[in-house]
Parts: sequence; C-alpha cells; structure tokens
Amino acid sequence: MDTPMSHSEYEELAAGYVLGALEPDDEHLFQQHLDGCSVCEANVRELEAVVGELAYAVPPVEPPDTLWAGIRREIRPEAARRTVLPAPEDGAEGRAGAGVGGRGLRLLPGLAAAAAIVVVVVLSLWNLNLRDENAVYRDRVAALERATALANDPNASLVSLDDTPGPEGAQATVIASSREDRGVLIVEDLPPLQRNRVYELWGVPQGVIANAEKALVFQPLRRQGVQTLEFEVPIQPGTVFAITEEPGPDGSEKPTSQPILRGAPPTA
Amino acid sequence: MRGKAYRGLRDGQLVELVAQKDAGALEALYDRYGRASYSLARRILTEETLAQDVVQEVFLSLWRDARRFDAGRGTVATYLLSMTHHRAVDVVRREENLRRWRTSDEGLEFEPDPKARVEEEVVTTERRAEVRAALSVLPPAQREALLLAYFGGYTQREVAALMGVPLGTVKTRMAAGMRKMKVALQDAGTEEHPWTRQ
Repeated sequence: MDTPMSHSEYEELAAGYVLGALEPDDEHLFQQHLDGCSVCEANVRELEAVVGELAYAVPPVEPPDTLWAGIRREIRPEAARRTVLPAPEDGAEGRAGAGVGGRGLRLLPGLAAAAAIVVVVVLSLWNLNLRDENAVYRDRVAALERATALANDPNASLVSLDDTPGPEGAQATVIASSREDRGVLIVEDLPPLQRNRVYELWGVPQGVIANAEKALVFQPLRRQGVQTLEFEVPIQPGTVFAITEEPGPDGSEKPTSQPILRGAPPTA
Repeated sequence: MRGKAYRGLRDGQLVELVAQKDAGALEALYDRYGRASYSLARRILTEETLAQDVVQEVFLSLWRDARRFDAGRGTVATYLLSMTHHRAVDVVRREENLRRWRTSDEGLEFEPDPKARVEEEVVTTERRAEVRAALSVLPPAQREALLLAYFGGYTQREVAALMGVPLGTVKTRMAAGMRKMKVALQDAGTEEHPWTRQ
C-alpha cells in the first residue's frame, strides 16, 4: 500500500487479526500499529473475547477418556515432584506449622505428638471458623494434615531455614523424613519474582553445594500467606536445605545463585 | 476425592496453582473447558486424533507456562479457547485436504433451526443459544465471512476468493460482523457458562 493507512483502516484489520485471518503483510502492519495504539489494543481484547465465545456455538462433543489420560501421563513426572498444597491465607495454621519446632530440632516422638496435637487443635479451631467456607479451605486443611502426619514420623527433622538473614519477613521451615526421602516446605512471605524466575529448594548433602539435589521448583504466592509444598529428595543425616532464585520455568540442575534462605539439620 | 476440593476455586486461582505445578488444578480446568476445547478442535479439524493432539497441546502449554495467562487480557475460558482455535487453524492450514473437506459443510451448523438441537444437552444450551442468536442476526455475507475464517481457517484473501468478492469487502464484512457480535454478546451478558464433564 502506497499511502499510510488511516486509523479506521487499522481498526478494520482488528477482526481479521483476532481471527488469525490476516495476510502476512497486513498482520505485520497491524502488529506494528498495535504496539503503540491503546485504542486498538483495547479493541483487540474485546474482540478476542468474542472469538472465545464463538467456540460455544459448536455442538459439544464429549472428549474420549484417553485425552485426559494422555495429558496426565505427560505431566505426571513433574506433578509428582511438585504437588502444591495451598495453605490458608490468614496464615494461622502456617504460623503454627512453621513454629512447631525451633531451628535444627530433631523431633522426638513425644514432641512430635505434642506438635501434632497443637496443629490439630489449631486446625479444629480453624475448621470451626471455616465450617461454611468452600472446598478451598478443606483442601488446605488436608495439606496441613499431611504436614502433621510427617511431623509424627520419628525420623523427621524440623529445620528452620534461618542460617542466613533472608529477605525481610520471609520464613521457611522444612519437615524432612530421611526414611521416606520426602518432606514438606512451609514458606511464608517470599518476595515476588521477576518474570521467568522461580524459587528452587535444594537438598544439600553435608552442605556441599556441588552435591546439591533439586527438591522443588515453585513460585511464591502473589498474596500474603503461607505455602505448604511437598517435595522428594534424598535426605541423609546432615542434609542442609537451601532456597535459591533460579531461571524459570524449570529451575536449574545445580544452584546458580547464593541461597536466600538456608538451614542446617541438628547435629547428631 | 481430591478433585472436589478444586470446585470452589475460580479459574484464575486454578491457573495460579497450575503455575506451581498442581496437577489437580489442571485437571479442574480440564473438567471445565476440556470439552469446549475438544468440541471446537473437532469442529475445525473433524479428525478425532488431530483434535486430541490440539487439546493436549493446549493444556500442556498451560501446564508448562501458566504465567503466560494474563488476567488483564481476558478470562481463562477465552485464553484456552483462543489457543485451541489458533492451534487448530495452524493444523488445518497444514492439512489442505481437511480444509477442502470442511468447505462442503461450512455454514450448515448455523442454519436458524434451533428445534433440531434443543434436546442435545442442558448445561450449555443457554450460552450456545446466545452465541447462535448473535450469529443468526448477522447479515448472511458477514456471517459467512466470519465462519469461513473461524472454522475453516481461511485467510481474508482466501475468503475473498471463495466468496467471489474483493479483499477489501471481506475485511469490511469481518470487521462489521465482529463488531455486531461483540455488541450482541455484551447485551446477552458475559457470564461464563463453562462446559463441564458430567
């Protein structure tokens, strides 16, 4: 086209753009215009919603069961390692969980039972408050009950990651079972990350960074609150836990930055 | 059952959990939109296997990079169904034989004959009726241009050739048609009616 396009001509291209029907040259022109035109950007957003709605015009067809099974099969390895169990927003249980023991405390069975009782009492009170709340909270109760069950494991250690001064307000505690090579990370108020960055929890045998093993990759909550996350990693006496910031979405195979939080287990 | 725990969550909350690799949240979103996504992919591609591949890619894409969803740009439903549409169109453009096959029955879906489909299912009837009503009031030439692009995956130039009109006319018809659809659907209400697995 020899003459510059008018704005109304650009507006006309918006429909073809959201339908994916523009010719390559028109698409290029419109994309360039779109980058600097808030009017067209808003228009495109509205038309994209129409495109989404058009899908509802189609008579529904039941997908075969194999479809979800195929998706499940693809995500299973990662999902098994990174199941996320959101904790309550008010943080009451999270604080109870995080404060069950001090740094590097080896849980004795009696203490573990006492801790479990505290958690259960808190959960009960919490449940009373939330008895009319929706399933979200029940799921969170289930998450903390898992943490409680792990805390009752006589082989479990409770490690507070406070060896180094971390970001203001950030707290993290690990309950780790060496018998089962798995654990729960309870973390609160980690700072938000830049795009394409993630947090990564490491199990570090004897604190030797070169031997660090990936335990968990996660994003912090966007709101205030406690996250409870399960992980699996080889755990031996002397395994140190550390959280670093890594490139997303899959994290790194070895730590590429200094830990923002780190905690050592109790000495034998 | 664990899946029940996700039912009370809004779509955006589920996406947030998916970003943290929560498989249950992804399954909950699949329960809500997998059927719609599959139905759309089947309509565009006709072939079951290709449609399955597209839907699988859509949900795996969400799994791999849920942060790409921007709540400021639209709903989760729009995001997933738009992605389904784009991917299905990509496939159909690679498979010329599919497109030719599709052309023969294009438009039949939207004949204003609602009685034939009344008893199909209950859950989605209302929303589908609204979208179909919005389509049915479009001038036929505008509707045809939209549907050839949307379900056939044709570019504007190809639509122009199929309809025997200049490219500029197709651009105008598509723009006018989409504008009218936007107004009609806004009038009908924008509440989401996700298709759910029974």
